[in-house]
Amino acid sequence: MDCPACKNPMIVLELQQVEIDHCVACGGIWLDGGELELLLEDEKRGKLLIDSFKQAQSSKERLRPCPICLKKMHKINAGQENHPVIIDRCPKGHGLWFDRGELSQVLAKGTLDKDRKIIKLLAEIFDKDKCEAKNDS
Amino acid sequence: MAVVLGTLGWVIGMAASPDPMAGVFGLVIALIVWMILAMVSFTGGDAILLASSKAVPVTKDMHPQLFNVVEEMAIAAQLPVPKVYVINDPAPNAFATGRSPQSASIAVTAGLLGRLNRDELQGVIGHEMSHILHRDILFVTVAGVMLGAITLIAEVFLRGMFYSSMGRRYSSRGKGSGQAQAIMLLIAIVAAILAPIMATLLYFALSRKREYLADAGSARLTRYPEGLACALEKISQNTVPLSVANKVTAPMYIVNPLQKEGMKLSDLTSTHPPISERIKILRSMSGASFIDYSDAFKKTTKLTAPIPSSALTAEKPVSVRGSSSPQTSATAKSQQRSIGDIMFKTNGFSFVNCSCGLKMKIPPNFTASQVKCPRCGQVLPIS
Amino acid sequence: MFMKIFLLLIVAVALLIMFVIGIYNSLVGLRNRVANAWSQINVQLKRRHDLIPNLIETAKGYMQHERGTLEAVTNARSQAMGAKSVAESAKAEGMLGRALSKFLVTVEAYPDLKANQNFLALQEELASTENKIAFSRQAYNDEVLFYNNKIQMFPSNVVAGMFSFAKRDFFEIEDSAEKSVPKVSFGN
Repeated sequence: MDCPACKNPMIVLELQQVEIDHCVACGGIWLDGGELELLLEDEKRGKLLIDSFKQAQSSKERLRPCPICLKKMHKINAGQENHPVIIDRCPKGHGLWFDRGELSQVLAKGTLDKDRKIIKLLAEIFDKDKCEAKNDS
Repeated sequence: MAVVLGTLGWVIGMAASPDPMAGVFGLVIALIVWMILAMVSFTGGDAILLASSKAVPVTKDMHPQLFNVVEEMAIAAQLPVPKVYVINDPAPNAFATGRSPQSASIAVTAGLLGRLNRDELQGVIGHEMSHILHRDILFVTVAGVMLGAITLIAEVFLRGMFYSSMGRRYSSRGKGSGQAQAIMLLIAIVAAILAPIMATLLYFALSRKREYLADAGSARLTRYPEGLACALEKISQNTVPLSVANKVTAPMYIVNPLQKEGMKLSDLTSTHPPISERIKILRSMSGASFIDYSDAFKKTTKLTAPIPSSALTAEKPVSVRGSSSPQTSATAKSQQRSIGDIMFKTNGFSFVNCSCGLKMKIPPNFTASQVKCPRCGQVLPIS
Repeated sequence: MFMKIFLLLIVAVALLIMFVIGIYNSLVGLRNRVANAWSQINVQLKRRHDLIPNLIETAKGYMQHERGTLEAVTNARSQAMGAKSVAESAKAEGMLGRALSKFLVTVEAYPDLKANQNFLALQEELASTENKIAFSRQAYNDEVLFYNNKIQMFPSNVVAGMFSFAKRDFFEIEDSAEKSVPKVSFGN
């Protein structure tokens, strides 16, 4: 699969049975459909989180193609109204694209990741400060 | 089946012209169509089938257990070890193909590997191996192609009729022969509709019989009928239809790949016997020989077992062995991952394991010769 | 008249010779199959011998308190490899099989060892080899049964007698403990 942002081939990372697609060049993360639920280890909570995503009103970010079906992905606000985190979602449900640092921002939001397990895991996978470096960009 | 094919050709020939030779001509055409199709499938049928089901060859280091089990069954059946393929599909299923035991192939889906333990896998491979041993793979090729030829001829004729009937309405014909011709035409249309159905029923009856025989063969080869019974049970719980199967290839699989949940196919039109019945027979076997299967079959279905009497006479008792399955403590998730890894490997991914514990799977189109571990920053070469 | 009878006789003799040749060839074919099945068993036994040193080497580090079990396996292996007669070999292989079963039961108590990827791979190979030994024995016995039937039944028994095709023995497993060899239990 190629990175939807910079077109470089993505590599697959696996740690403790969790597998994610990662672009070495731009630091983005692609999660296949269902992979986020797997990450949260709870289908209900995963669904809740995904349902809470709203279509972003306006975004200056460029539209990106889904790496699986190449359809233009929708811009989704996964953050709060006043603090938006714009991620990309495939209209056909193939998966979600997070730019560098966006995934931990989304998961940091409230009660979703109670014991901060995923954040820890992500910090495990990616060097902690690199992950948080692009906060508030 | 050949009779159905011949009759169809003859009747269509007769319908086309009043000349009695036309019937023979039609018959010859039908046989030629069949021969061409048979030749294509005989020389390249297995390759076409494997390619159409997107099977990729695997080597021993990708899945040692699958390879070992295939080798074990080849030894038990005293056949050369067939080529092994994996199909990247979550639906659990398997099939065997090839012209002869010397050039046979066995294909299993990733879903099958992910779900079954060693004994169950052995049961399934034993089933496929006995298809090879009984030369069912050739039967499916020849009979399947004959079915295809019948369907093709009938279809071409009916379509031809449909289009030409528009023009014929205005053409005048001689009276006497015209009437006989019209009757013959009617018969031909009926034949063209009935022939594919008849051939299909025949084909299905034959292939069901062979499924039972392969089950019996698997029990005998593995000496452990419970393995196949468990495997069939697990496979039957699956609700995803196999996406790479179609009507022609369906009879080759260990269970019908097209059967959807909630849709009960009637006994006559199914290529496979009901799974529950197959499991019941396997579970009521008192030994592992053909005789035991035959007895269990009679007890369960009240019918005579579809096992040739020659196989029953030259049998000495085969005792059932104990389970040898390694009950791996692996979770479903990790099994899923290991199956995923097989698919990555077959797709040309190379694996890099960093000393920090992170596993990287590098796609074949990744151009750099080294990769920096995003976890610990180590730069690792890509082999 | 005489010529006719003579010709008939020649034809009859020629047919008989061809018949005998046919039977002879099929007997040779069967005998070769038996020999082939026998060598298959030996291939698998050799494979078992080759696997053991690696297995023991891997296990050694984890199983310091089980030296007796490990030594029993190593000793049984060298005995099996040094066996000269078939009977001797069968006995030694039986012992090796029992030693291996005991070893694999003991392994259950060492979760660290069971998590070792290298050991798991070796264990799978061993399990498969044990299965292959069992299956090749079964295949050998099937071939012997077929072959023995053939040389005892008319008319092939006449040809077999003429060319002294000897009856072959089945590969019998001498005691019940040995029968459980293919059962390499990895525990639940």
